[in-house]
Amino acid sequence: MRFTPTELTGPELDLQAEVREFLAAELPPGTHEPCLGMAADHDREFSAKMAARGWVGMALPSRWGGSDRTAVQRFIVVEEMLRCGAPVGHHWVADRQTGNVILKFGSDEQRERFLPPICRGELGFSIGMSEPDSGSDLASVSTRAERSDDGWVVNGTKIWTSNAHMNDWFICLLRTAPMEDGNKHAGLSQFLIDLRSPGLEISPIPFLDGSHHFNEVTFHDVFVPDINVVGQPGMGWHQNTTEMAYERGGPDRWLSPFSTVEQLLREASGTPMEDAVSDLFGELAARWWGIRNLSLSVARLIDEGEAPSVESALVKEMGTRYEQEVVEKLVQLIDEEYSPESESLFERLLAQCVVTFPGNTIRGGTIEILRSVASKGLQGLPA
Amino acid sequence: MTVTTAPEPVVVDELITETADRLFGELCTHEAVQAAEEAGVAPDIWDAFCETGFDLIAVPEEAGGSGGTLAEAIEVLRLVGYHSAPIPAAENGILGGWLLAQAGIERPDGLVTVVPPRAAEVGWSGGGACSMEIAGDGTAVLNGEAHRVPWARSAELIVCVCDCDGQTSVVAVPASECEITPLPNMAGEPRDTVRFVGAAGVAAPAPDGVDAEALAQRGALSRVALMAGAIEKMCQLTVSYTNERVQFGRPVARFQAVQQHLVWAAQDAALVRMAAEVAAREATRGEAPFEIAAAKLIANQAAARATKACHQAHGAMGMTQEYPLHHFSRRLWSWRKEYGSDAHWSAVLGTMATSVGPDGLYPLITSGTAALG
Repeated sequence: MRFTPTELTGPELDLQAEVREFLAAELPPGTHEPCLGMAADHDREFSAKMAARGWVGMALPSRWGGSDRTAVQRFIVVEEMLRCGAPVGHHWVADRQTGNVILKFGSDEQRERFLPPICRGELGFSIGMSEPDSGSDLASVSTRAERSDDGWVVNGTKIWTSNAHMNDWFICLLRTAPMEDGNKHAGLSQFLIDLRSPGLEISPIPFLDGSHHFNEVTFHDVFVPDINVVGQPGMGWHQNTTEMAYERGGPDRWLSPFSTVEQLLREASGTPMEDAVSDLFGELAARWWGIRNLSLSVARLIDEGEAPSVESALVKEMGTRYEQEVVEKLVQLIDEEYSPESESLFERLLAQCVVTFPGNTIRGGTIEILRSVASKGLQGLPA
Repeated sequence: MTVTTAPEPVVVDELITETADRLFGELCTHEAVQAAEEAGVAPDIWDAFCETGFDLIAVPEEAGGSGGTLAEAIEVLRLVGYHSAPIPAAENGILGGWLLAQAGIERPDGLVTVVPPRAAEVGWSGGGACSMEIAGDGTAVLNGEAHRVPWARSAELIVCVCDCDGQTSVVAVPASECEITPLPNMAGEPRDTVRFVGAAGVAAPAPDGVDAEALAQRGALSRVALMAGAIEKMCQLTVSYTNERVQFGRPVARFQAVQQHLVWAAQDAALVRMAAEVAAREATRGEAPFEIAAAKLIANQAAARATKACHQAHGAMGMTQEYPLHHFSRRLWSWRKEYGSDAHWSAVLGTMATSVGPDGLYPLITSGTAALG
């Protein structure tokens, strides 16, 4: 394991400046309610504007509608969007991972069908991994896809499916062969499923604050054509593990409370600041600087053709805990009672952080699972 | 569209890493480090170090140094920390050697050490019990007491930065002019008390960019480098030990509760090394007050967490003198307090962060000192 320091090149700095200009024009402070990281509002219009700049699916090849950009360039766009709390929810999953999976494992027909609309910011994807009885032990999924004429028939239930009620497509890990003794990773396959397929039922699972992100998705004899199987049937576990690596270690795992902190500084400006508050801004700037350097080095490693799975698991485990620590420090320091409906934007954001951030160390793989992945890597064992 | 030019890369010659790693690997055995602690000095290790020229790395050749960049000196210090080499590499080179070269004071053959710019009790600007008079010919006479001066007992020359009558000077006093009382830090490294009683030395005006604040930053950077090495080695010891130690029929590293310690310590090792290397890169290019302050704060906090995690994972074995973990953990506890505590650097960083305002906060995180304008 080695995180090599890296820094932005001239053209990368130009891109950063371009994104900052775009955001200053589109979302000047005070004109929008910032989102808290990747759990962002879905705004098809905003996604289309980003796509018009070539910033959605940007690392995909131009042959498939992408911009032939790098992981570092995507990092630059994503970090600027997240630190402003931009509404990137609609294209988020497709941009971060599904596009990559289709590029890497999909057929040319699938690439042609999905990648250009992803890059236009049109397609929103949900992820179908967890089930009522399969969470961290993902290989135990039991939602079945059974062979039928020129396709598959799916039955079972996926759960905690973010934004299935708003998205267009569903990338799902399904069991296509019974579980074998001693090799539970065999017999799994990845499918692309239209969220409006007949027999597919989406029911909300209200979030703890009453908001609607989570859903339960139930399949009643849902037909999926052969052309929607991603890669080789039976190779789903390997493909899924690869997909998870795209989820880890990026700015979405450490920037979620930034807009809250920035807003505190905005609201505190012009009045004398207590030393403890000033010191906290200093500490947070330092720690964000450190984590960002680690995270950026992971993106650079990806561009150098490496597969930094241990490094990205370490960054995600650390980054998501840091997000919670930031909130805890704010809570300890701020002598106000805040509510999701406070007049102050900072207080509204902080209340939302307090209530929703326990999920940050759970989503996309709990930190306990990440520790297991990372520590095997540290010991030189297969993950 | 603007076309931005990125700064020139700062490259550290791999040969430096290999040479220093091999040298310390051979010399700084557990027994040798233990013996140095008991004796308070390690002349064999120091002499071998000097033969490589690393003792004066980043000191310009025209000032009698070995040349090389600050980033290269920092890499050597990282390896000093990694091997717990019991030598005053920072004091002699990038701190003392730098001050002398900057002020144009000739360096003696022997070891040079530096009085850390700390609180008023050891300050020179009217506070505390210290005083200095500079005669017209550049000779200085000092009275007072300086605390926690690394390896003063072995030094030939003691260097400090003094403010006197509105003039910042670099002052060099032969150790033979001083009364030195040995005092160890928590790792048994010499941090001696130096009494100046009419001590005669030489003073030279400090050029621009050389003052107590600059020395404090350079000192902090040196400690971050040492700490980066020590945390990394401590983690490696912990991974090995928990793979060898069997309880309940399996290596303890297989237990999730133990894995948590391994992962947290590895993160801190990575974080501090990254902080050290980025801060060194920026300090090599020019002034880097944000990066150095951020790096020292990060290192201080990481030292606290990582020593706790590594000790816990080692169980009772880590609490013994016979097992080497303490060479690293005790150094980390000491270095954490040197050249600026968490509170000190948080306050410095807080001033920077609030000065850039809400719209400048993220640019400060991405561009560091350059964003301070």
